[in-house]
Amino acid sequence: METENKAGTSGGKKILIVLIIIFSAFIIYYTIMSMMSPARKLSAINNEFRVKPAENTLVDERIFSDSAYLKLLKEKAFLQSRIVMAETDSIYLTINLTDSTANIEISGVVVHKAKMSSVQTSKILIKGDENIILSMLSSPFTISNAYATIRKEPVLIKMAPKDTTEYKPDIMPDTSITEPVNYILEMTNGTRIYVYQEEKEKFSDRMDLFIFNIKDRLRDTKSFLKSVALLKVPEYHPFIKIRLPRADAKIIYRAIPRYGQVGIYR
Amino acid sequence: MGNDKIINEGSQPEVEKLHRILRNLLIIIISILVTLSLIIFILFIVPVLQETTSGHKTEITNNQELKRDASYKKKISLMTSDIQRLSRKYSAYTSGQSYIVINTTGNRFSLYKNKKLIREGFCSTGKLTMLKTERGDKVWVFKTPKGKHWIHGKITNPSWTRPDWSFIEEGLPVPAKDDPSRYESGVLGDYAMSMGDGYLIHGTIYKRFLGMPVTHGCVRLNDEDLEVVYNTLSIGSKVYIF
Repeated sequence: METENKAGTSGGKKILIVLIIIFSAFIIYYTIMSMMSPARKLSAINNEFRVKPAENTLVDERIFSDSAYLKLLKEKAFLQSRIVMAETDSIYLTINLTDSTANIEISGVVVHKAKMSSVQTSKILIKGDENIILSMLSSPFTISNAYATIRKEPVLIKMAPKDTTEYKPDIMPDTSITEPVNYILEMTNGTRIYVYQEEKEKFSDRMDLFIFNIKDRLRDTKSFLKSVALLKVPEYHPFIKIRLPRADAKIIYRAIPRYGQVGIYR
Repeated sequence: MGNDKIINEGSQPEVEKLHRILRNLLIIIISILVTLSLIIFILFIVPVLQETTSGHKTEITNNQELKRDASYKKKISLMTSDIQRLSRKYSAYTSGQSYIVINTTGNRFSLYKNKKLIREGFCSTGKLTMLKTERGDKVWVFKTPKGKHWIHGKITNPSWTRPDWSFIEEGLPVPAKDDPSRYESGVLGDYAMSMGDGYLIHGTIYKRFLGMPVTHGCVRLNDEDLEVVYNTLSIGSKVYIF
């Protein structure tokens, strides 16, 4: 009886050890695959936006790292992107990471200006080759998806009254409602723009932001696990995280079209 | 003595039981801690580790010898003229004419003349309501259309021709097209400017609602602002709504 018990315990231990090994191996594999994803994304960006100098022009290679040249290239890339957006006649967003401003523009006219209180950028947008990144920024980004704590267009459905006895006049809208405003704009090229409200005075604001972030991380983890299970390198999303006053964040989210465009200057 | 023996014999299995409970409890606590650590690792540590990946950063230089090079000068001059051309093109998008900007989220307007802000204040825009008839055959959405518009026409002392929805919304029977009950004067203020598709910029008798989204899609202003806007904008002036 005792021998049977011992055999059972050692069998259980073996299973436990095997499980720990499998588990640890998976964690290591998951971590390696996750860490490979930014490099894969950077390589994809490099392949897509690498500037190929024309064969007949003898440009000194050193110019591509010259400060004056790069400064001009930044200006040119941003202007090119804004012109493309202005020609669409639609509402678009421009984010200037240098002077920390986020503007709404329509056909080249700045209709709203907002000051960002903080900016955090993905390393690959900073550590990448300047010429390649600027080439990428010379075209506007297009929004493909959005996740938000507020509704884009809060349309209220009202049934028409049958007669005057059923008619109720509209209630005065409550403009004091200060719902938390946090959202993520996902671009077609995989880049994500995180917009968070600056105000964190209430506990509920912090809690809402925490839940919103957890949901985003869970979404990412789900897609990462899916890719890893299929032995694929998961897709990395370069990001720009900005903080804006709540009112400005709301105005921007409600103003830009669902599949609107964004121009970035950095 | 006999009693002591009985107590000792009885406590041994109890101690063992306690040990088993403690061991199981420890296993549960360790399992919870491992699971939590794993969740924290996957959700929070892995994204941080991803950001440690290094790329090939351009080392920005300021080589004086290069700056004296003729091909460098040519390239910089080409780039500068390109930027000037693009800047001119972009500036040309902003009309030199007067224009008005309407913020439908904040319910505010800004009036510009010669690219300078000359007046701003509150307005009322669309209430974002969808009115449906009982049978669901007719639907109206009361919102101010966003984007670039322009002034199609200007009217003084406008009177309001009530559309069908204004009767349906109040549960009233819809009268004939030319029925006198459709015409109301004095409710749109002294001036109205048409933006096309039936949308107007006009005055209001409901001044306490300015700054709130309460209209059926038109833009309402107070009397003083309306007069300034009317006198500043001309037919063709741009109206930017966001």
